[in-house]
Amino acid sequence: MSIEFSRVLDQIPPSGIRKFFDLVIGSKDIISLGVGEPDFVTPWGIREEAIATLEQGATSYTANAGLLECREETVSYLKERFNLTYDAKTETMLTVGVSEGVDITMRALLNAGDEVIIPEPGYVCYHPLVTLAGGIPITLDTSGNHFIPDPKELEKLITPRTKALVLCSPNNPTGVVIPKETLEAIAALSKKYQFWVITDEIYAELNYEGYTSYASIPGVKDRTILLSGFSKAFAMTGWRLGYLCGPEALVSRTLKIHQYSALCAPIIAQYAAIEALKHNLKAVEEMRKSYLLRRNFFVKRLNDAGLPTPMPSGAFYTFSSIKHTGLSSEEFALNLLKKERVAVVPGNAFGACAEGYIRCCYATDMEKLKEAVLRIKRFIKGLQ
Amino acid sequence: MTKHEQEVLSLLKNNARISVEDIADSMGVTTATAKKLVKKLENDHTIIRYTTVINEDKLNAECGKVKALIEVRVRPEKSRGFTGIAKRIARHPNVIDHYLISGQYDFLLIVEGKNLEEISRFVSEKLASIENVQSTATHFIMKTYKEKSVLIDADDELERLAIQP
Repeated sequence: MSIEFSRVLDQIPPSGIRKFFDLVIGSKDIISLGVGEPDFVTPWGIREEAIATLEQGATSYTANAGLLECREETVSYLKERFNLTYDAKTETMLTVGVSEGVDITMRALLNAGDEVIIPEPGYVCYHPLVTLAGGIPITLDTSGNHFIPDPKELEKLITPRTKALVLCSPNNPTGVVIPKETLEAIAALSKKYQFWVITDEIYAELNYEGYTSYASIPGVKDRTILLSGFSKAFAMTGWRLGYLCGPEALVSRTLKIHQYSALCAPIIAQYAAIEALKHNLKAVEEMRKSYLLRRNFFVKRLNDAGLPTPMPSGAFYTFSSIKHTGLSSEEFALNLLKKERVAVVPGNAFGACAEGYIRCCYATDMEKLKEAVLRIKRFIKGLQ
Repeated sequence: MTKHEQEVLSLLKNNARISVEDIADSMGVTTATAKKLVKKLENDHTIIRYTTVINEDKLNAECGKVKALIEVRVRPEKSRGFTGIAKRIARHPNVIDHYLISGQYDFLLIVEGKNLEEISRFVSEKLASIENVQSTATHFIMKTYKEKSVLIDADDELERLAIQP
């Protein structure tokens, strides 16, 4: 007998940004560029529909895979916007955000020792969820290739144990959109070596120079799992609703886990999502335009302030090099927060190769962005 | 209207005091280009005026204003239809907005005055006495909830986490 905890879990280091929480709690004068969500509230039409549905008494469980109407709307939206073809009944399920989608995908795919290749810098959940599912995360460093996964480098990492590759485009934290040619090269590798591609497309709507969904590359469907959701495009982060699309054999398995661990996604979120897809795509476009203007503004000003920042083609993040300051990304972020009350996320939260960078989220109003740049500039000047 | 012109308008509609430099950087163009775009929109009267949204509730009694919506039914003139009468009404300084509308009435005016008396006087002495004005219906505005797309008493924003991955 033992009252110890899971050893696998304890192998996973605690989140690097936890220490920032204590510093920002209760502080009113902080300009936060450290968030990972829209600054818009969910469009009123969606909220109103959710309220009305709640008044009607929609408080029950739904089918494990989610309301069929919501899945059908999702599928036709994916067809319309990204030229993807999925069957609503057998190839689509609703999840509690993309996070659950990643979790149940890993658990459905992996056997002990299976390797999953994860491009880094990358979002924080892939590594731990692979580990928890018994797999081995393998890092693909993209920092030498403008943060785009290089198919040649990828091929070098492939072994007989390679089970899957994770893609996230537009990327959190870099904002990089993977070009179509790269996606095609990756698709060819996936076919040649027979591994799955898990494509996290939660930021797909927030693209500024065009976008191709990996899942739309011809011939990849039977080895591809599409994960996306409503959080970023419709400003619905707190509703916790995502979806998972893939071959029936995979979906029937992820659904098996989901029915035990989550049962179903929240019913109100599902009704809200139906409304979102039916009547609120214009609001998505308005928000996208607003991010675009702020992106241009913020990137220009950061560069002017002395932080080399490439123009990202998607999401709402900038990824700036702070190498010339001589500070580590964590030192930079902590000191910036303490001295100038600006919160950013240190690059090392997104992988070791993201050391020397900071992530800023420009989904905040322009006057705050302006003030933040002034403070960052003053901070850098103070270092010299 | 070009995409650039639309972008300029969306920035100015949201904040009429935005600087040319900020407009330029938001659009990814030079300051000279941004200046030219704004000038063009001003010159061709796409932009007519820069104005301010005021929370009238904050004004004290002396500078406070009373507003009313006035529906007006008129008999159109043979030669000019509604235009001639509209011009006579719109010129009055009390008239803030003036629209031709469908439905039971022809014009909808938004009228501003120091107090109820001033507006009543405007209606009875100025408006009703105009030839071809057949009838009016005055609705005094008691409270403004939203103006120019801005919620006047917006709820305080709920706090977001300042740091998230």
